[in-house]
Parts: sequence; C-alpha cells; structure tokens
Amino acid sequence: MPETRMLLKNAEDPRLRTLDGYKGYGGYASLEKAYREMEADEVLKELEDSGLRGRGGAGFAMGKKASFLPRGEMNKYLCCNADESEPGAFKDRELMQRNPHQLIEGIAIAALAAGAGHAFIFIRGEYDSQADILDAAVAEAYEAGYLGRDICGSRCDLELVVHRGAGAYICGEETALLDALEGKRGNPRLKPPFPAVQGLYGGPTLINNVETLSNVPHIVRNGAEWFKGFGTEQSPGTKVVSVSGCVRRPGNYEVELGTPTRELIMDLAGGPREGREVKAFYPGGSSSPVLKAEEGLDLPYSFEAMAEAGSMLGSGSIIVADDQVSIPHMALRTARFYHHESCGKCTPCREGTNWTVKMLERVVRGEATPMDLDIVASVQENIIGHCLCVLGDSMAMPVGAMVRKFRDEFEDVIAAASEGEPAVAERIAVAQGAAETLGAAT
Amino acid sequence: MSGKEINLIIDGREVTATEGEMLHDAAKRGDVEIPVFCYEPKLGDPVGACRMCLVEIEGIPKLQTSCSTPVRDGMVVHTRTDQVKHAQSAVVEFLLVNHPLDCPVCDKGGECPLQDISYGWGPGRSRFTDQKRHFEKPIELSPLVAIDRERCILCYRCVRFSQEVSEDEQLQLLERGDRTFVGTFDDRPYVSPFHGNITDLCPVGALTNYTYRFRARPWDIEQAGSVCTICPSQCNVSFTVRDERVKRVLARDNAEVDDGWLCDRGRYGFEMFDAEERVRGPRLRGGVEASWEDAIAKAAAALKHGGAESAAIVGDASNEEGYLLQRIMGEALGSPHIDSRPSRGPNRDALVRLSQPEISARVRDIDDAETILVVGTDPLHSSPILDLRIRKAIRRNGAKLVVATEAPTTLDGGAVAVVRYTPGDGGPFLAELTEALAAAGTPSSLGDRRDESEGSPEVDGADSAKRSEGAPAVADVLQAAGRVVVVWGERIGRGEGAVEELLNVATALDLASKEGSGLLEVPDFTNARGLREAGCLPDAGPGLSTRDALRTSGGANAARVGMGTEEIREALESGELKTLVLFGVDPLRDFPDTTAWKNALAKADHVIVFSTFETATTAMADVVFPLETHAEKDGTVSHPDGRLQRVRPSASRPGDIRPNWGVLAELSLALGHDTGVSSQPSAFAALANEVPFYAGISDSDIGGRGIRWQETPACANAPEPTEAPGIGSPKHSSEAPAERFGDPIPGALALSTYRDLWAGPITELNPPLKFLQPQQRVELSVADADRLDLKAGEEVTVSQNGTSIRARVAIKERVPEGTCLLLEGVAEGNANALLNGGPVSVQIEKTAAR
Repeated sequence: MPETRMLLKNAEDPRLRTLDGYKGYGGYASLEKAYREMEADEVLKELEDSGLRGRGGAGFAMGKKASFLPRGEMNKYLCCNADESEPGAFKDRELMQRNPHQLIEGIAIAALAAGAGHAFIFIRGEYDSQADILDAAVAEAYEAGYLGRDICGSRCDLELVVHRGAGAYICGEETALLDALEGKRGNPRLKPPFPAVQGLYGGPTLINNVETLSNVPHIVRNGAEWFKGFGTEQSPGTKVVSVSGCVRRPGNYEVELGTPTRELIMDLAGGPREGREVKAFYPGGSSSPVLKAEEGLDLPYSFEAMAEAGSMLGSGSIIVADDQVSIPHMALRTARFYHHESCGKCTPCREGTNWTVKMLERVVRGEATPMDLDIVASVQENIIGHCLCVLGDSMAMPVGAMVRKFRDEFEDVIAAASEGEPAVAERIAVAQGAAETLGAAT
Repeated sequence: MSGKEINLIIDGREVTATEGEMLHDAAKRGDVEIPVFCYEPKLGDPVGACRMCLVEIEGIPKLQTSCSTPVRDGMVVHTRTDQVKHAQSAVVEFLLVNHPLDCPVCDKGGECPLQDISYGWGPGRSRFTDQKRHFEKPIELSPLVAIDRERCILCYRCVRFSQEVSEDEQLQLLERGDRTFVGTFDDRPYVSPFHGNITDLCPVGALTNYTYRFRARPWDIEQAGSVCTICPSQCNVSFTVRDERVKRVLARDNAEVDDGWLCDRGRYGFEMFDAEERVRGPRLRGGVEASWEDAIAKAAAALKHGGAESAAIVGDASNEEGYLLQRIMGEALGSPHIDSRPSRGPNRDALVRLSQPEISARVRDIDDAETILVVGTDPLHSSPILDLRIRKAIRRNGAKLVVATEAPTTLDGGAVAVVRYTPGDGGPFLAELTEALAAAGTPSSLGDRRDESEGSPEVDGADSAKRSEGAPAVADVLQAAGRVVVVWGERIGRGEGAVEELLNVATALDLASKEGSGLLEVPDFTNARGLREAGCLPDAGPGLSTRDALRTSGGANAARVGMGTEEIREALESGELKTLVLFGVDPLRDFPDTTAWKNALAKADHVIVFSTFETATTAMADVVFPLETHAEKDGTVSHPDGRLQRVRPSASRPGDIRPNWGVLAELSLALGHDTGVSSQPSAFAALANEVPFYAGISDSDIGGRGIRWQETPACANAPEPTEAPGIGSPKHSSEAPAERFGDPIPGALALSTYRDLWAGPITELNPPLKFLQPQQRVELSVADADRLDLKAGEEVTVSQNGTSIRARVAIKERVPEGTCLLLEGVAEGNANALLNGGPVSVQIEKTAAR
C-alpha cells in the first residue's frame, strides 16, 4: 500500500520552502479564507468537528483543547512545540525543513481560532538548520502580510517568534516549555492550572505540536468532513510515521491512521534485513511500551488500537528491534536516555531513573540476580502514575514492558555476562559507548 | 482567604474546611496527617515536587498530591488505602536512594522530618544496593551555613525561599536529574540578611548552622519560646538551650508578627550573650566590682543627691522595667525628666492621636493592603522582617508600594513610585502630601492629573528638584487605594510638627474608617511603644496620661512637664540636672552629637548606667548595673502595632546578674519608696493597673502569641485626643532647604544617616557575625562624586562644624544629588559624631596622603 500524502505532499520540491513555491501549490489560501471569510468561532468549530488529535504524544483532540481557552480580551498565546526530542521521532524536523509555510499557515489559523495575538515556535536547539529555514519563512510571511498587523485586512494581529531551545528533552513537556520560554529553568509546572487557563506569562495558552498545526490549513481548506474521510473514526487523518531501527529503509512515511502496522514496517520501510526477523518494536517512540512482533504487527496503526494493546501511538515513531537486538541492552539504552534527561524536580522520576540505570547496568554486566529483575519491575511500577510530569512514566512504561515480556532474555543475559561471554561483552561496550553521544544525536 | 465553609470526608471522618484550602491543610483539621517535604505555604504556591503527599480522591483515577489539591464540597479522600500506602512508601524508598543515612552523626538526627516520615510511612528497608551519589561535604554555602549535598533531598524549599521570600534569587538548582544540587552562581557565598531561614526550612540535615554544628543533640536540649528584642520587629523565637546556655535560635511561627521568618541578626546574634564585654555584675567607676548592696546604696545616694534634678533615659527595657524606672523618677525623686527616645520626638497630644486604635495598622494588615506607603524608614535596616512582609504583599497580592525617604531603600525596586526628599524634610514632604491629597479629592484636578500620568506615576528619585512632583504622584496612588498601610519611621518625628503632618495624611486618607488601613511605626528602640505607654515620656505618665495625675512625692515645686532627651543633655551640660540614669541606652554610640553627650556625661555629678555590655558610656559611669538579654529576661514588651508580648527566661543569667525589675524595686526601696513590686507578675499587674488600656490583660491572655490591647475590651479606655483631629494648617514655612541647613557652604552636602542592619554590638561582639561588621563609608551620587573629584574606595574626611570622621567613598547611582549618606553606630567613624539633632550639611575632602 502506498503512502497517503497530505502533509508531505510535494515535499520533494525544494521550492516548497519559499513563499512563492508554497503559494504555487495553493498555499496560504486557507489562511486567506479563514481571515477574510470566517469568524474565529467558525474556524474553531471546523477544527473541533475534524476530530484532529494531537500528534505530539498525548493524542488529545486539538479543537477541544483550543476551545478550553477563555473568551474575551486578554493576552493569549499560542506555542508550537517543535522541541522534537524523543528518540525515534524525526517527523517534525522533516515537516519544518521541507514545508515551513504549511506550519506557519497552520499557526496563524489556529491563533485566529484561539484568539491568540502572540505565537512562538519553540524549536529544539539541535534543529539549527530547520530553525534557519523557519526564520526565513517567517520573514517572508511577515513581508507578505500573513503575519504581523492586520492580517489580510481582518484587523487581527499575530506576532510569531521562532525560539531556539537549549537542548533539554524536558522542554518538550508543555509546561517546562513555557518556563523555558519565559527564561526560567525548564522544569514542568504543577497542573492544574492547565496552560489553556494559565500558561505563558500567566495568560491562556494553546500548545500544539508541529504536525498537528500543519494539519490545520488542510482542514480549513477542505472542511472537517473531508478530513474525517481519512483514517479511522477515532483517529481521523493521516500520520507522518518515523520508522527507524532494524529496517532496510528507515524514514518518514505518511499514511492514513489505521493502516496495518505490518505494512508500515514490512512494505514501506522495507522490513528487517535479509535473514532477520522483527522481534519487537516501540510503536510510538521510545516512551511507548514495546510490543512483541506477534502482538503488534497486525494491529491497525491508530491511537485506539495501540492503547488497547497496552501501548500507545505517542508521537508516531516506530523503532524496530530484530532478532539480533538484545532487549536488556535496549532497556538500558532507553533508561539511560531518560535518566540523562530527567529534570530532577520530582522524586520518583529523579531517583527512579537513576536507580533503574544502575540496576540494568548490573544486569548487562552479569552482576545481578533474577531477584533484581523483580526489583527493576517493581521500581517501574513505583514510578508510574506518581510523577509530576510524564517523563518518569516514559521510562518506566517501556522498561517495565521489556522486563515483563522478555524476562527470559534478561535472565539469559545475566547468566551469559556473568560467565564473560564475548558477544555480550561487546554489546556492553556498545551500550556504554553510546551513552556518550546521548542527547546529541538524532 | 475568607472562603465559604465546606465539608469533606477524609478517611471516613467528616472535616469542615474553607473552600479553596489545600487538602493537606484541611486534613490536618481532621487530625489526619499527610506527610510532606516540599509543601510549605509560607513559601508561596505549592510545587508538588516531592510527591510524598499522594492521596486517593474518589472519582479521580490517579493519586493526587494533597498539597496542591484545593478541597471541594463533598470530596471523599483516602489517605491510608493500600494504593496510597504503597505510593508513599515508594516515595520514601526513592528519597533514601541517594540519602546517606548518616543519622548517627547528623545534627538533624532526632528532629528530622525525613527520619520521622521514613519511620512513619516508609518501607522500613531499602532495596537499593548500588553506589550513592557523592559530593564534597560539608562545604560553606555561606560563612554561617554549611551545605551537605549528599543529604539533600532536593525539596526546593531553600531555593524557593531565596527566590520567592527574600527575593535575593541567589540559590539555584544546578545540573539536573539526580545530579541536581543546590548552589549559587559560580559558587559564590550566599549573602542575605535572612538566609538563616533556610536552615529552619531544610527537612533534612543538608543545611546546618555553623553556630550549631555538633554543639548538641535533640535529646539534651530544651526549646524555650521567647521574643527577640534586638529590633522593633519583635519576632517570636524559640531558644535551643543546652546546659542553661543558648545554642541556637529558631523562628517561632506567629503570622501576626513575623510570618515565621527570622533575620540573621535574631538568629545568629546569641553568642554575644556570653561575650567577654558582657557586664556580669554591679561595677563602680573604673570597672571596680562591687556587691549588689554597695552598688544599690551608691546609686541611691547619687539619686538622692540629684533629687528632682535627676533624669533618666530608657532604651532597651521591658514594659515593667520602664514602668518601675518612671515610678522611681516620679514617685521617689519627684522628677518628670524621663524619656525613651534617642533624640527629639512628638509631644503627648500627637502621641495620643497616634495611639488611636482606628488609625493603627496591624502587621498582618500589610498582607492585604492595596497600597503601602513607606515613609522615612528603610525596613531592611530598622525592622528587617517588615521588609519581607512588604515584599510578600507586592508579590502575592499585587499591593502597590510607594517609598518616600531621604535615602535609597532596598524596597525601591518594587515600588510604583519613589520620592526622595531632602534629609530632615519628612515633615514638609508629608505636608505637601496632605495638600496634594486634598487637591486630588477635587474632581477637576483629579481628571487633569490622570490624563498626564496614566496610572504609572514613576518618579525619578535621582533628581531632588522633582520633589514637588513627588507628593502629587504619591497622592494619586494613595487616593486610588482602598486599604492603605503607612509604615513610617519614628525618625521623621524628630522634625518639628512632622508627626502632626503624618496624622493629617491619615485624616486626609480617612484611614480611621477604612478597615485594614492604618499607621505602623518603625521606632528606633525595640520597645519604644511599650516604654511610652508605660510612662517613660517627659510629658506623659503611664497610659499616656497627663502628668497632672502623677503622684509626686518630690514636693510641690515638681515640674509637670519634664525634659526630653536633648534637653536633658543640655541641662546636664549647664549643670541644671545633676544625676543621670541610663537604662539600656548607649548615648555615645547611638545618640546624635557624640561630643555634646561626652561633655554632658562628664559634667553630670553622677551617672548610673544599666547596660548589657561594657561600652564607652559605662566607662563614664559611677555605677554600672548589668542588664539581662532577651534570653534571660522575664517581662513584657509592646510591639509597634500594640501587641503585648512576653519575653521569657530561657537561659541562665551569667555571673552575678539579677532580674532587672528586682534591682529597680530594690533601688526604689533604698530611696525610701516601696513600689509594692515583688515579682515579675506583680510588676506587670501594677503596670496594667495604671495603664487603662492594658486593664484586664493577664499573662495567659498574652500567652505565646501576644495580644493587641486594641483587640481587648480595654480598648475602650484608649486615651482621648484633647483636640479633634482635623487637617491642620502646615506648620512649615517654605524656606529653602539651604536656609534651614544654615549658611550654605560651597560644596557641602546634606547629610542623611542611617543605622545599618549590621552596625553595633551585633557584629562586634558575635564572633560568627564579625565578618559582616560594616566599615564607615560615605555614599554619594555620581554627579557629586564627579564634582568633588572623588573615586570609589578613596579615603575621605567628612566634616561638620569642626568635627570630622573618616570614611571611604562609595558612589551610588540612586543617592540623590546634593545628599550623602553615612552610617550610625559603627565602631569607627560613627556618623553620630557629626549630628546635632537637626539637619546638617557636611564637607567632604580627600584625606591627605601620608
């Protein structure tokens, strides 16, 4: 089955980055339509009707979120979360790099619906060239009157600022993003109050992911009904899926939600290398509980199917592990990432990630006992649901799932490593060496 | 925070709480304890970081932090279900993952929330077998506070204190995850006059006082509640006493007084109780030790010699001590010459008007004030805890602050308007303010002004020429507000008629009829209000009564109105007065015009000094009696807002020191007059008997939290003003400042002085605080420094009328042009040497190089 390209349509044309190129494919028609012909409430209603779900991880209905913002005259904000830092996710990068104006148009329309006068794109610091592209595109949009004062004669204003983050994963958490944007240490805030009520600088704030906002112009142009024609009932629309790991053609593939996962991994991404088999995969980035091949390959790739299987669609990033991958090492690699990125504000995440890494290191060194695996599993349970934000859960869910589903393999690794088996020792070197590059590579 | 009452069920018990209150606090009312580490309402909004207080709320699938969940009517909460127990025990286990568990050698052991909660809610054992994190420890966070980062559980309390209470923003969390640690930028020492509070806040042994490390264990100490009398804030403290010696001072929460905070003076200023300079027994001239009998006989003889020509000045004293001393003066000697102020002050009429309950503000009123006017004082130096209180009102409630002073204050940054008046011109400024308030009341001018300065009357304080614009701008802010608290410095009362002008402002603002509004004084002496009310005034007896009612036994020719402090000094110099009693005052350090005072003390026939420490003044005394400190004394003091508080003996008196009330009673007996006072309670009873508005207040009414007499039935007995208060005509002629400062000398600068927070015995006699001892410096504006060709750090001679002191130059942008600032009370170059009670101007010259 081929891709269904909506967001990545014409993405191979380098001219799409420029205003002229974008307009050549009909760009900014939605913005003009929204600002010239529609009331803010109509736009909002269209978004609500479309059933568009957030593409950043939580999958919350975008229109509904926008409708939570209080009405009336006050400083309201829109933040585009472009701090894409989850291992396995690289779809926003491609969307911004190839089609920046689609995002800007989406932001402008969403800001109209939410009544926001100021918008920010919080882009992760490592996305340097993408930020340059956005800067150029924003300047063009200002020049063309799609941003700034009195957009398209509507008397609505919008200031859009591209803000580069400083490289902390936690700043992708919406409230930590707000703190970082305000110039503070990027730590998550206590919720409630939710950002929609009290967000940036204390004002109501709508926060959406790049891909979510990139969908907005298409919905406004073609209508909610048209949009719902794609995907499933509960997961309308298409999804740009980042497929990586042990596949022959890793990359971003845009498919309708509900497409069988097998097609994504086996057909579009080419499946595992010759003679290898898929053992397991993360269906929605490194924070989603891993699914065994037999559990997951035949599931439709949708929010609801993944949730039902005990995992999640998350940011829509599949990481494939074939039969050569050591699950305990993958667990350690995952835990190390979250340990490195934990902000340290709340106890279970700060201490739990640290403790988990130490235990898993002993596992792969062969210095653990099967009883330690019980402790690893118990620590993950003690983290889940007890933290201030979802970062702790993001480690505990996949690591917990791996220990639960691949317990035998963990025990085998302990036994083999304690006898000094070379293959395992080699992997330890890889796992340990890899830690040095964490946070810098995508 | 007056919400409606609601009911909820916690662990099966029905609990009544206030809507919007946090669940943790509501649970406490139902006797359900929910463990917390990070939660501390004093620090502002909850952060929900420690996750210790997770509880189950019916209808919400996930556990919720009770510290951040406001209660709702009908809420059903469980705190002891398996799910909750499991979560809480998990959090304790996590907290102990990196905690060294070195309780046996930790100062916090035995009084440690982490220890208590681990026992109460923890799993009892840890499954953690790996390496814990390591830091160099302990290291200096400041010269007074040690930090042990291994013990830290990263609860955020100290950091929040620094950022949201003292607003110094020096403490930060550095690094992240389990590598996070508390520190300052670039490892600089944490410097703040309030930083000791973080040791109280720390729920583990991570932040400890160097003054207490390894000095005692919780099982060999006692806690004794008292009141700190180092400054007029009169914060409630708890002394940690071991072997009858004070080892530590902790804050004792009293929202009516100190909000649970303590400044570093009160916290670390206890080692001077045992200083070598402490007067430990009666002494005669030349420091000769004497028996109590001899000393009292000698003092009685000196007072008999002086008779009605004796005078007394009281400073650091309890209400009872002040009361007894004024009885000795009045009843035994027939002398009305007693005062409790370092310089001039308002007369009885003004004081009676000031004491009217309707125009008195409580400390707590600052919290809810819409506008706060700080006039003639810098709370940080004079009553530090008010500085925090005012900051809190601005930060949490958006109160508007207006500062009107001679010199820059630490509160300027948070003010909507800042006015700088010429030194000594507090009265004229207030007169202008009254006029501006009256003018602003008329609709036309109100409209005009609003058009010009749309809501933000930002006044450039640097230019004193703009002063006339200042008062109207201040008037606009004040006029717009409902609840106004005016925090004023006693010092403005040194100016003729200034307090009357202040009362006019109160009338113009109609403070009397606005709930939560009023005046709050920042006096020079800690117990200034109590001493005035006890009758230590030249023109008023106990309860601010007129002297007519005084039972004098000194003969019919006894004057009814006595001399004030400055007149006493002059009368001593001229020989008109013979004997002087100084009780808890050190004129040679603390009073204006040092030379004149030295002269007066030398001229007096006899000087009797009651003093805590040996000072330049005790060296000139014929008899010296030792005073008790607030850790030893038994007595009451009155807060500037009228709150009677009890100072309780906590530690033993060193040497041969006796209770001061007893010494005074004995002295009176030796003069042939029985006061009838035989104990502290009888002294207080006698005082309450004579002060009509203290009537019926008992020791148990005062209790541990104190009681404002304005809030007792005795309030009805408040003294009646003799004349109906009205806006009087300004008493000040509009002479140019130059004229009031005498002949203008080219290059002369108006002198403004202040008592630095750290000047005096507090730093000189407390070894741990020695590093804070201020050196004399002359602060002046950039323009004046340029004009006089002075560079920062240069040594200069500051002189006035033949007297000079040395100081180093400090150039400060915020000092108004034409004014310079000097410190009072410092060991070398005390600015009091240059003062003469009125406004003075000084000349600054470079000290010739030698």
